[in-house]
Amino acid sequence: MAPQTSLWLRFTLRLGGCLFLWWVLTGGRPSSWIIGVPTIALALWVMNSAPQNPALNISFVGLIQFIPYFLLQSVRGGIDVAHRACSISLPLDPRIIDFPLNLPAGRAQIFFLNSVSLLPGTLSADLVGKTLKVHVLDHKVDPRLHQLEFQVARLFNCPLRGGDD
Amino acid sequence: MALTDLITAFLLLGSLGFFLAGTLGLLRFPDLYCRLHALTKADNLGLGLVVLALMIQSDSWQVVIRLLLIWLLVLVAGATVAHLIARKAQQDGHQPWRR
Repeated sequence: MAPQTSLWLRFTLRLGGCLFLWWVLTGGRPSSWIIGVPTIALALWVMNSAPQNPALNISFVGLIQFIPYFLLQSVRGGIDVAHRACSISLPLDPRIIDFPLNLPAGRAQIFFLNSVSLLPGTLSADLVGKTLKVHVLDHKVDPRLHQLEFQVARLFNCPLRGGDD
Repeated sequence: MALTDLITAFLLLGSLGFFLAGTLGLLRFPDLYCRLHALTKADNLGLGLVVLALMIQSDSWQVVIRLLLIWLLVLVAGATVAHLIARKAQQDGHQPWRR
């Protein structure tokens, strides 16, 4: 495909996605487009200004395996933090730990960053080069970030590399 | 009908517990980083339970998809904002609280 054509295709897909999202969220009420049209224009402009990634390559099998994993971890994360907040002794022993990322930069990495914050006891604090600074509520608990990284790599069909390149 | 109402009530009560715990964490936790944990995780689970409760009560597929989308968008927004706040705090040199 010529680059010009694929640019137009990408724009059309994004526009279509935004229109569909707004339509579903507002139930298609005509007056909502007064807000909707400027919002969509702004969203498209932001998407265009961001660095462009290659086409999305989501693995269906990866997605089917990721959803229950993510839901289970979210529930565990919520229960864990609720338990800590309600305990009289306030069981916290936080640290900032370094996690060397093995995922390639781009979508998969951003997806990983956001997922880390929803997992039990971990919060992605800062990305310095290829090292993720993770705030953990209790440094004695293994945050199992490699497991999440494996799940995200399978979801995005991308290889996990060492931190050497 | 009664059974679905019962499940909805159960889920809403559960969500109330998580929202309360999240707020308690916001008030009790010692520093910014820990408070972000309480907000993102407890509130996301609380909202997830509200969404689930409303899904059971809804009578059209469009509403179910809309509720699911709302939850996913709040999830993404919550995690992104938490990361941005934590990153700013890191770059400003805020040291995390230690026991």
